[in-house]
Amino acid sequence: MKNNQAKKWIDQLVEKILFLMALLSASFIVIVVLVIIERGLSPFISDNDGLGQVNLLRFLTGIVYLDGPTFLSNAYGIGYLIISTLYIALLSLLIAMPVSIFSALFIAKIAPKFLGNTLRTITEILAAIPSIVYGLFGAGVILDLVYNLSLLVGVQSSAGFSVLSTVIVLAIMIIPTMTVIAEVAIRAVQNELIQGSLALGATPTQTNFKVVLASAKSGIFTAAILGVGRALGEATAVSLVAGSRRSGISFALFETTATLTSTMLQGMKETVGLDYTIRFSIGLVLMVIILLVNFILNFVKSKVGRVHV
Amino acid sequence: MKKIFDTQNLSLYYGKNQALKNINLTIFEKSVTALIGPSGCGKSTFLRTLNRMNDLIPDVMIQGNVWFGEISVYDKKTDVIDIRKRIGMVFQKPNPFPMSIYDNVAYGPRCQRNYGKKELDSLVKEALIKSALYEEVKDRLQKSALELSGGQQQRLCIARALAMNPEVLLMDEPTSALDPIATAKIEDLIVELKKNYTIVIVTHSMQQAARISDQTAFFLLGDLIEVEETKTFFATPKDPRSESYITGRFG
Amino acid sequence: MSKFSLRHMLDLFLQLMTFLFSSISFLTLGAILVFVFNQGWSLINIDLIRYPYESTTLLGEPIENQTEFCLCEPNISLGDDVFYSSKWGIGLIEGVDLLGQASIQLAYIHPNSPLASLNNKGIEGNEFVLLPEYLIQKISYNDRATSLARRGVERMINELESSNSIFEIEVITKGGGIGGSIITTLWLIGLTLLIAIPVGVGAALYLNEYAKKSQFANAIRSFIETLTGVPSIIFGLLGVAIFIPFTVALTDATGGNLISGALTLSVILLPIIIRTTEESLKVVPIDYRNASLALGASRTQTTFKVVVPNALPGILAAVLLGIGRIVGESAALIFAIGSIVRDEIRLTDKSTSLAVHIYSMMTDEPANIELSSTIAIIILGIVLVLNLLIKFISTRIMKGKIGGVI
Repeated sequence: MKNNQAKKWIDQLVEKILFLMALLSASFIVIVVLVIIERGLSPFISDNDGLGQVNLLRFLTGIVYLDGPTFLSNAYGIGYLIISTLYIALLSLLIAMPVSIFSALFIAKIAPKFLGNTLRTITEILAAIPSIVYGLFGAGVILDLVYNLSLLVGVQSSAGFSVLSTVIVLAIMIIPTMTVIAEVAIRAVQNELIQGSLALGATPTQTNFKVVLASAKSGIFTAAILGVGRALGEATAVSLVAGSRRSGISFALFETTATLTSTMLQGMKETVGLDYTIRFSIGLVLMVIILLVNFILNFVKSKVGRVHV
Repeated sequence: MKKIFDTQNLSLYYGKNQALKNINLTIFEKSVTALIGPSGCGKSTFLRTLNRMNDLIPDVMIQGNVWFGEISVYDKKTDVIDIRKRIGMVFQKPNPFPMSIYDNVAYGPRCQRNYGKKELDSLVKEALIKSALYEEVKDRLQKSALELSGGQQQRLCIARALAMNPEVLLMDEPTSALDPIATAKIEDLIVELKKNYTIVIVTHSMQQAARISDQTAFFLLGDLIEVEETKTFFATPKDPRSESYITGRFG
Repeated sequence: MSKFSLRHMLDLFLQLMTFLFSSISFLTLGAILVFVFNQGWSLINIDLIRYPYESTTLLGEPIENQTEFCLCEPNISLGDDVFYSSKWGIGLIEGVDLLGQASIQLAYIHPNSPLASLNNKGIEGNEFVLLPEYLIQKISYNDRATSLARRGVERMINELESSNSIFEIEVITKGGGIGGSIITTLWLIGLTLLIAIPVGVGAALYLNEYAKKSQFANAIRSFIETLTGVPSIIFGLLGVAIFIPFTVALTDATGGNLISGALTLSVILLPIIIRTTEESLKVVPIDYRNASLALGASRTQTTFKVVVPNALPGILAAVLLGIGRIVGESAALIFAIGSIVRDEIRLTDKSTSLAVHIYSMMTDEPANIELSSTIAIIILGIVLVLNLLIKFISTRIMKGKIGGVI
């Protein structure tokens, strides 16, 4: 009897401990949000050691990162960064989407079995490569390529640091993940639909593009959402190829640029005070943007996923 | 009667396994031929040889000839797309595309060439009328096909096939996934369609075969045991195995 | 039937596009590999671990009781351009210092050489070893004038041979070592897994074994899942805001440190570990649990003696995924630890993981692409092995070959 009592007691204890672990894990997202909000909002509320409050409106809409000498001014503005970040993410997505869809189609439907399996494994490995390696590749190869391209085209470029380099590196980075997800979605398309299309006299290619892709829409959309999320949040790779623009929106392909994340990383080695804390504010803005983008895309996905081509 | 299909010593192998053994069967114009037999007897496989849908399965080998009118279906020079344009197929489980009703019916024609809106509208309408679905969907042609009931979806698939204006309609157990009412509707439809189309239907229901077909072919383990005018087949089957099957001793 | 109809052309065009676009992905992988190997392969050798990161100037004096001359011949064959002193067992060659000026490089040192290890004059009781590729700036003797590097190799060797007592040697160590970063990475893996695995597996056990499909469990799951959508740099901020002050308060740390880094990484790893573990827990047949309970075992015993052992492959996969993530993480660690490369690693002090080491070098002036590529090769190798292992485990689970530890 005593043994059973002890067992019961242990059971309850263990359950409580495991519960706490689950609760702890779940609480981290809340903690992250609260911390970022608290630190992120403080520059706008506190005195910042005599520098004065940062103007929120200017922060969100300003096109100059810092008006005035570093550590001595509170005139931060990241409006231009917001636009640059979204612009770059969008361009990367535009490049990455067709490549990953076509690649997924190729692996799932067109390649012979052995080749398809090999390519799928290669893609999965590519998706696991850390971003710093992509950044290194970007700095070592893409910068030169873009620089030479700019010479060819006759446009000025700062040793290759540019919008174009950033977009290319990001695209290369998100393509594998997107391909993997899209490929799963394409493979999941029911065989009966494919047979139905072929029986009507459609060619395999017509079937692939008109029926298979249409049926895999939802999964492909998910791939896009994940891809754009990664593009928005990528830091180290971008900081190695973007240059570090301190003002002005850069739309031209060969202009240097910066993103919210690359700016957060900039000058990390010697930063203090407001200059340090403002990175939290930038992080807060980043999170809001990612949330909004995810929300909008998921909304569109639910509408589109309802089937009408 | 004119011959639409004529198979000569048709054999089919899945790898080493022989699924069809020397089938000699003639399908006549504007009639309904029912293929019956127990599961795994090869009737669906035979059906799929007529429009080369077995090409999609790896490791398949065909021997013998299939004549579609004057064309040898398995000749190297034969364009399989062309064959499939002239032969429509309806599957066991309705498989409408995730598109609107209109786009489903218009799919086949659109794959072949561009159509003007008016031309396409009337083509779609006609196909839906022929498959006895138009009245039920005429006000929601742009809605998703997946919202239709099972029976409606199957008639949509028939409309989709008819939109290609085929000469033949191949149906692989088209009502086995449907309820009795939907089944009855489709059987009526088939009887109506045979005025203009040649129909070959695989069915596991002998009653269905007896109800709607003109000619019945009985398959067993890859062999064509007996093919006969339907009335005669069910009344006085010649082969003892046919009789066993009809009276329910196996299958 | 026209073979060259518009439809046909469109068909061919689309096929071509598919082929072209998909080759882009795979060509880029090829390009990355080619680049990384091209740049970094030359530097791959074990010395990377022996050398410190920073090149430093050291003053060494012979160790007290090691004064016997070597009088030995080299036990490997030296090139024609190496000048050798058999008295001291040292081979010297022309070299170039960091500023590009002519200097003298240590080409070979015999194990029995009295100069193999020297006392570090700056620090009490600290010895250092003379390694190949170190630069010899000058040698001061007790019985003759000093040898200077700028006077050439041959002269220095002759002067060395002619002396019997060395006072001190000025040496510039070769830098570019990554030993510190490797040790840091290993520490991070160990610490992070130590924290994240128990918590993650524990949470997964609770969700799958005790809470199952309740609304509460689903709420917890969705909270955990949202973490996966957060970019890692944000976790870096979390590290700065919470884990650094936490460790500073509890230890002698004065800023970013390995422990705060490990804590940050744990948060990043949690959703992955929980999700993967839950998947593998789901695969364990409910019959196993029922059988155990029917035998009179308690829930705890059932969970830990039956369920967990059977879910081990999945947990192992979670561990491997976690290691992969740790090795590759950069942005979060730049915030949570810092990006200063160190040779001496202490848990309560800053240093870099391999990935952050690359970042640190690439943001230096000038960027060291060769060494970065070498590290990238190492990282890629690790990632490749981990992924193949995970795949192997997954396919084995699918085939149902692993498990059955009742």
